[in-house]
Amino acid sequence: MTDLSELDRGAAPGAADPVKVLLHRHRELCERAVDPLEIAAGLEAHGITDRTAARFRHRDVFSLAEELYARVPRDADTVTDAPAAPDAPAPEGGRRSVIVLLLPLLPGALCAAALVALARTHGQTRLYAAAAGVVAVALALRAALRRGPLALPDGLASRSATGSWTCWLLAYAVLGDGLLRTALTGGPDGLPDGTTGGDWPLALAPLLALTLAVAPATWTAGLFLAHARRKLAVSRGLEDFAASVRPVLLGAVALFVGALAVLVALCAPLLDAGPVSPAVLALGALLFVARLLTVHGFTHAPRVILMLTATAHVLAPATVFAARLPGCAALGAPVEALTAAWGPTAVPVLTCGAGALILLVHAARTLARASAHLRPEQAR
Amino acid sequence: MRIGLLTEGGYPYVGGEGGVWCDRLVRGLDRHEFDVYAFSTGQAQEDAGWLPLPPQVARVRTAPLWTAEEDGVVHGRRARRRFTEHYGELAAALCHAAEPGTAEKPGTAEADRFTNALHGLAELARDEGGLVAALRSEQAVRALERACRAPGARRTAREARVPDLLTVADHLERALRPLSLDWYEEDGLGAVDLCHAASGGIAVLPGLLARHFFGVPLLVTEYGVRLRTHYLTRPDASPAVRSLLAAFHGLLTADTYRAASYLVPGNAHARRWQERCGADRAKLRTIHPGLDATPFTRVGEDRPEGREKGAEREHAGPHTLVWIGRVEPAKDLVSLLHAFAEVRAAEPGTRLRIVGRPSGPEGEAYLGHCRALAAQLFPDEADGPHAVGRNPVTFEELGGPGAETTADVHAGGTVTVLSSVVEGFPVGLIEAMFCGRATVSTDVGAVVEVIGGTGLVVPPRNPRALAEACVSLLRDPERRARLGAAARARALELFSVEQNVAAFHALYLETVARTPVRRPVLDGAGDPQPFAAPAEAHVPGHWTGPTPRAVPTWAVETPEPVTETVR
Repeated sequence: MTDLSELDRGAAPGAADPVKVLLHRHRELCERAVDPLEIAAGLEAHGITDRTAARFRHRDVFSLAEELYARVPRDADTVTDAPAAPDAPAPEGGRRSVIVLLLPLLPGALCAAALVALARTHGQTRLYAAAAGVVAVALALRAALRRGPLALPDGLASRSATGSWTCWLLAYAVLGDGLLRTALTGGPDGLPDGTTGGDWPLALAPLLALTLAVAPATWTAGLFLAHARRKLAVSRGLEDFAASVRPVLLGAVALFVGALAVLVALCAPLLDAGPVSPAVLALGALLFVARLLTVHGFTHAPRVILMLTATAHVLAPATVFAARLPGCAALGAPVEALTAAWGPTAVPVLTCGAGALILLVHAARTLARASAHLRPEQAR
Repeated sequence: MRIGLLTEGGYPYVGGEGGVWCDRLVRGLDRHEFDVYAFSTGQAQEDAGWLPLPPQVARVRTAPLWTAEEDGVVHGRRARRRFTEHYGELAAALCHAAEPGTAEKPGTAEADRFTNALHGLAELARDEGGLVAALRSEQAVRALERACRAPGARRTAREARVPDLLTVADHLERALRPLSLDWYEEDGLGAVDLCHAASGGIAVLPGLLARHFFGVPLLVTEYGVRLRTHYLTRPDASPAVRSLLAAFHGLLTADTYRAASYLVPGNAHARRWQERCGADRAKLRTIHPGLDATPFTRVGEDRPEGREKGAEREHAGPHTLVWIGRVEPAKDLVSLLHAFAEVRAAEPGTRLRIVGRPSGPEGEAYLGHCRALAAQLFPDEADGPHAVGRNPVTFEELGGPGAETTADVHAGGTVTVLSSVVEGFPVGLIEAMFCGRATVSTDVGAVVEVIGGTGLVVPPRNPRALAEACVSLLRDPERRARLGAAARARALELFSVEQNVAAFHALYLETVARTPVRRPVLDGAGDPQPFAAPAEAHVPGHWTGPTPRAVPTWAVETPEPVTETVR
């Protein structure tokens, strides 16, 4: 049905090659199309039908699209090189981002306030202050971990029940060393009195340091995430990506442990506690790596390792107590030997350190996978 | 006959795409049983609930496509190996596939490879209880990377970077979610006699698998071509992503077209796409979508009487052109307004009613633009020096006074105009035909196919031609009436719900008749009993029972109306 007047109408006046005009008009569509059908679909969306195609001396839109596809220059170099690294998540309102940035500081601040309150009060009031402090810090922790890079993606919250094991570990950090020490010397003769001295002393410095460390943890995790995404955008293959992400992960963990060490060193003199114990560092590293793994969707390993570590912590004093039973003295021997050699902190240092190492090795394998970084981006 | 109706984002959800059509089909075929297998496409859809279901819907099973809980299925070593093998095959088929739409047919080797990989994955999912975790795993991404880097892969695939691989893997995971469902049991999709997919694309996957596992015949209706929609939905992705996903959808479509017993395009446009993508012409049966003609009966029937009463037009008021639709740039209202200016030059006093609401912000802006243009082109005019004037062009929305329904609007118009530059299947035009109106439309989409010879057709973007056509109709009431009557007759013949349902019924019977019996009914001696399973699941009365024979209707003396009106 191609008559000349129709043909003239489809082409610009004077153009000997009507398809060229069409090509010019739809240049962008033709250049980025990956196959002729894409051009055909695009042309149809612009209202070009088989009858229009007839003006270009084609049977239908498909053959017209094929001609366009064949005629458009398409060298290997035209493909846009390395798309720019995706921008960081758009900052959503200044006020909100400030809140998000400062929220991780809240648990530490509350914990410090609670410790001050504990130091200023006595007797019954002190008990209330302690209870209020624990509740406040717990709520602040919840809020701080609700958003930001350490927040769990939707749908994961139900399956990562590591909270109770974390509580066990924290409780041991506060109470454990004192209990172990006094247990080895035949105690304890009563409940802890809430001070850092006495028969069953509390170690409050680790707690303060760890709550303060929520902030560096959040920030280093954010750094890790941002770096990993940038590497993801520019790496050529999966092996490349894995190789480039592993140092970033190790660096992030080292950075965090360093920050934690500084915090511990600052906290210990303030609370008149003894020298800095590496147990806190090990515990901090363990919790940090476990959280990193969990937020990336790997919930199984952190749960198991935290459970094992907490169990080991409970077992250590338990064996000491069990050794007091007649005929069971051998049960307490390992812990006693350990403590005799390196002091009571040897138990948490060894267990947490081992746990953290195992998790770190695991993380170096799993977080180096590209698929691990897929879901948080696509959370909707 | 038990029919498995496969839908995606449509029936039985309220307001789903194609939901109305499926509802009419299910209600129209009350002698068959329907099992509905539906994918929902979003939380909002699930919250909106279902349409009321007629009793012939025996069961409804739904699955979300938009979210997948990790099923917690951990594969053993052998299952993992099987998965890697099949997924790798699938990925290789994607990377090596000839570009769909090129002159040569899609390579059969690749198509076979794709089909086998799909079946392999489906069998694995059935054996192991789910694939969600595996499809999301690093193994999948690695297999994809290997396939892209393999020698012989397409250039665009070779250029895939890690984010591209992840995007493609994620998309494949979504697309292959139907494999992990527990629908492929003897009492699930194995129990139906026929799978009818209400659309192409992902909705067909359960039908393909039912065919693979149980030999259930598959019927695919495509009122809009999913492959084409897919090309238009992902404009911003990188070339590698678009090329791999286009290959996936192209291969899936080709596989669908090969496996289906019949393909039902809704119009010639869909049919051409299907032929292009490798559908066998012998399998194609065009069935036009049906529209409920009842609301238009009054207006449509009214016409002849009015003509007899006063050929010199009983409503002696000025002529009115009517345009109904959603206001958006593709409708080219600007061209309509320019055409109307020429119409007014020839026929002063003519009015134009533009009825419709804008779609989206773009439509809002366009509507504002058109209003401004109308105000510029046509000054307000009044009947006399003491009357308040008004603009000959009115912009209204459905539901306003004098425009309660589309039928009312058509009733008040002399000629219905369609000025689009892009159009799919023009439902508004069919409504005008049902109302018995003479129409002038632009030659886009399926317009010519719908209108046949019962209306005037002009080229798009040609206001003068549009105006000339309108004027010629406005000046010739005889011709208007003739064209209107012909249009109504054509619409009732081709686009009524009844023809749609009857055509599907016939196609169901034809499909089943060409499929070997899968569960032969045996008599006492163990021999197969022919005709034991009637095609209809519900037959009024006992057709084999000892009740006295009913008198056939043709034997009863009833005055038959000469022209059958469709209710």
